[in-house]
Amino acid sequence: MTARGADLDDDLVRRAGEGDPAAIRALVTRKLPRLLSLAQRMLGDAAEAEDVAQETFIRAWKAAPRWRPGEARFDTWLHRVALNLCYDRLRRRVPTISEPPDQEDPGPGPDRNLQARDIGRRVDAALQGLPPRQREAIVLCHYQELTNIDAAALMEISVEALESLLSRARRALRSALQDLGADG
Amino acid sequence: MTPDRFEGLTEAFGSDLDRWPATDRDAARQLAAAEPSVAADALERARRLDLILAEAPSYPPGRDLRERIILAAPAARTRTLAWRWLSGVGLGAGLAAASVAGVAAGLAVAPATVAPARLAGDADPTDEAIALLREPLDPAELS
Repeated sequence: MTARGADLDDDLVRRAGEGDPAAIRALVTRKLPRLLSLAQRMLGDAAEAEDVAQETFIRAWKAAPRWRPGEARFDTWLHRVALNLCYDRLRRRVPTISEPPDQEDPGPGPDRNLQARDIGRRVDAALQGLPPRQREAIVLCHYQELTNIDAAALMEISVEALESLLSRARRALRSALQDLGADG
Repeated sequence: MTPDRFEGLTEAFGSDLDRWPATDRDAARQLAAAEPSVAADALERARRLDLILAEAPSYPPGRDLRERIILAAPAARTRTLAWRWLSGVGLGAGLAAASVAGVAAGLAVAPATVAPARLAGDADPTDEAIALLREPLDPAELS
């Protein structure tokens, strides 16, 4: 997120905290898609992802009147709340034996007439097959496009540890998706 | 930056140098210019995975979720409740309150007549109060 984007966030949060309906709507328009994607990719469950997104905003509405610009980026704060809620749910899940995602039978070529939707499902399945910390790293850096510094801070690890998680995540994804041509 | 470091960063952050750590981008571009074949191989390998990862579905929020979240905002909730009060629920509540006030007035004026009626049935007290208000009072009962 750019400094200008962070400034706009701060302005919207301030106005939302004052009850400005336009700011509330703007903030939801601006942040909800990112939060929902984050939760969906972390949890792999649409209903749970919606619950997490909604609960994150409920906490944001409570925090907005007391928000102090400059102490933290609002976008980072939202990510932290959403991730905590995701981990709460992941911890409550009954452990199951994890199986690697199904691999398609290698066909005549890398695209093999697979529709984009099928490839998307395979990518989702491969993401869900990752250990949670690797998944978190790849979701934050690759899909949420956070900087390595922001992602490491969110995960409370060093940038070197983040890099290691990312490398392992990408290796696992490449292996899981090799029949689609990910292995080069 | 060494070729090994370049490959390591490619392995972690993918083929788009703009997604790499800001502190490494310039050195990476210099290495890519100095040793194009090393860089090209690493970047091409990462690019193939990136293209597939880009096929992950997006999850646009539905209108219901969006509205639920907006309604949960304190200001929006207050405004919605006020609107409901004005447009229906509030009107009904106002009517009920007026009814209760009427009953109270009736009790004050003719307690012997009204009180038994309130105790006689199982009807909803508000409905009962409204019904009582509709009945014309018998002047004899007021005397």
